[in-house]
Amino acid sequence: MTKTDENMLAETTTSADEKPPTSTSAQSTAANDNQPEVVAIHIDNFNAFYGDFQAITDVNLKVPARKVTAFIGPSGCGKSTLLKWCNRMNDIVPIAHASGKLKVGDINVLDQKTDVVSLRRRVGMVFQKANPFPKSIYDNVAYGPRLHYKVSRNDLDDLVEWSLQKAALWSEVKDRLHKSALGLSGGQQQRLCIARAIAVGPEILLMDEPCSALDPASTARIEDLIFELRGQYTIVIVTHNMQQAARCSDRTAFFFEGKIVEEGATDQVFTRPQEQQTEDYVTGKFG
Amino acid sequence: MNSPLKQELEHRSEQGRTRLSGYFAVTCLLVSSLAIVILATLLFSILYTGGSWLNFDFLSGTHRENNPEESGIGQAIIGSLVICSICGLAALPIGVGTAIFLEEFQPRNRFLRMFHGLVQLNINNLAGVPSIVYGILGLTAFVYMFGAFNSIKVNDQPDYEFGTSYYYQVKTLGDTFVKFPARKEIHATFEIRNPIRADRANGESFLLKVFSRSDDEKKFENDRSSAVFRGVLANLETRDDQQIYVVQTMDGSEVTFPAQPSYSSFAKILEPIEVVGPDGESFQLNVLAKSDDVPSDEQLKARSVFADSPDPKRRSSASIFSEPTPLHFHLPFSKSVLSAGLTLALVILPIVIIASQEAIRGVPQTLREAAYGMGATRWQVVRGAVLPSATPGIMTGAILAMSRAVGEAAPLLAVMGGVLGTTTGLRSLMDKTPALPVTIFKWAGDENAGFENTSAAAIIVLLVFLLLMNSIAIYIRYRYESPATK
Repeated sequence: MTKTDENMLAETTTSADEKPPTSTSAQSTAANDNQPEVVAIHIDNFNAFYGDFQAITDVNLKVPARKVTAFIGPSGCGKSTLLKWCNRMNDIVPIAHASGKLKVGDINVLDQKTDVVSLRRRVGMVFQKANPFPKSIYDNVAYGPRLHYKVSRNDLDDLVEWSLQKAALWSEVKDRLHKSALGLSGGQQQRLCIARAIAVGPEILLMDEPCSALDPASTARIEDLIFELRGQYTIVIVTHNMQQAARCSDRTAFFFEGKIVEEGATDQVFTRPQEQQTEDYVTGKFG
Repeated sequence: MNSPLKQELEHRSEQGRTRLSGYFAVTCLLVSSLAIVILATLLFSILYTGGSWLNFDFLSGTHRENNPEESGIGQAIIGSLVICSICGLAALPIGVGTAIFLEEFQPRNRFLRMFHGLVQLNINNLAGVPSIVYGILGLTAFVYMFGAFNSIKVNDQPDYEFGTSYYYQVKTLGDTFVKFPARKEIHATFEIRNPIRADRANGESFLLKVFSRSDDEKKFENDRSSAVFRGVLANLETRDDQQIYVVQTMDGSEVTFPAQPSYSSFAKILEPIEVVGPDGESFQLNVLAKSDDVPSDEQLKARSVFADSPDPKRRSSASIFSEPTPLHFHLPFSKSVLSAGLTLALVILPIVIIASQEAIRGVPQTLREAAYGMGATRWQVVRGAVLPSATPGIMTGAILAMSRAVGEAAPLLAVMGGVLGTTTGLRSLMDKTPALPVTIFKWAGDENAGFENTSAAAIIVLLVFLLLMNSIAIYIRYRYESPATK
């Protein structure tokens, strides 16, 4: 399978506002502080609406490439809306519209002329509730490649195995590839959805509360997986689980009432928040 | 804080309330059992009247005038099956397509949204329209096709037709029928029945109007120079090496139109020709002069006709008839099984659309999101994610709708008339055919009391059909219902 040159997409900026993280947290070591940040998603003065209701107001954000960025915040704060705009999933909602600048690599996402099909191939999505197709495990993973490419049977076999291995599911399902995906457990189904998203070769993975419907053991496996995938994919994860954000993200953005209150390195946001609201939220005073 | 409910309020009798509730339950039970009793009575009386008539001869036979004992419903069963198939084949793609448009293609554009809403509103209303109204619609739309083509008359050839061969048929002196192929030719006269494009002597081209002799004169007093009466004959002439028909309009001015070859309804036999006999053998037809005697040899008699003569007793002009292949097709569809099937498709279309919409709406939104999220186009989402999940629901709805169609009599009566049987059977989609509900309706109203029994027997067959179709629908629903829960 051909993987597009990721650097072609990524916009290189020398971000002056990035303060080098000074913490001892494991995550921060992965981010090489001295090299210029590669920005995967560039958001400028972004506003999003559902009909007359403004869901997001003036959001500015740079999502670094090949790192994990967590969006946290109380329900209805606009974090899922922003995530869905990143690959235009809001097109399904007839009343949704947005203004401002939202760039994924060199693609201007909000431009009506943008080809959403190729955008979504490059920006994959994993949803809150595992949503495998009522098909076999194999066909689920092969669905995306079949949509976009003319692949031979052998290549497809290899690709399915590779994707399932990436999603840490191969050993559990290799003997039942052609059984229905609906027979898998919830956690397995969610990992299958991640494998399915990986199979088309995206550069960015959007995850909308991927563990909120799972038990703690399955959640831990998904978090491990996210940890393994960083460095290869740009991952944006929306979560209600503060510990999860703290455990597996490099950077965190705290949303409140459609605005970003604070954005920074994860350990900084959680241990030394600059804003009172952030501190109240991460310490559990509200939300 | 104290509740505003006052403690000293008088209590309603607990007993009285319970008793009233009991009465209510009993009333409900009685009312619902009434429906069961009526249904049981109906079934019993039908089985009693018609049950003993059910046998193989009845199921395979055809209608016989005034002879209920030998009548059967073979043609009607085949007719109903064919009509039902046409109906399903037409209604399913259109219905599912409309449902997909309404459910999956929700437009952002304000004008398209209004169109969308209008279609939805219409479909909801159309579901309640009586089927006879659809019958009249089918009559206009399919049988006559809004008069866009020349209407088809007995022994006349439609303008747009293929898949049939025309023969002339003539009765021999031995009372057998022989036939020979008909050819289109330019006839010496042309009977004007429909408006036609014509030219004046000065080269002006115009539409020659046709009025009936019974029309009020005021209708055509301004059109005398460009109109003729229906049935006026135009004569063939050769001018400038071209064959044209010439006719005089009402005011006596001469107009012309080009001559086209056509079949004539009758052919004169003046000289021996090659014909095909009743057993398929071909031979030379023996043509006698009007003064000749009738041959005494039977075999010769069966191969002889008199030449066309002014003496009506000895005239042997051949009349045209057609032998359709199974692919026979013409426009307009006229009173045919195709018109009937398409009309029934109109009847069930709203039901199919609504059922398909329900089925598509039942597909979890998460499946759509999954497919869209992978970069599927709208068509790929519909084909790969929505339709596979919605198919059992769509099929159930379609079968239930077809089981309604198979029992409809009114649209068939409007579109095909009350056909009870045909001599040839169903040879092509352009033929008429009897159908079960029409047969039941006609038999039930027949003066011959014996047909009441055959009518009841036909009802049993129809009920078995309905039961079968509904069982299939229930089976599909049961078999494919949410595989995740099994």
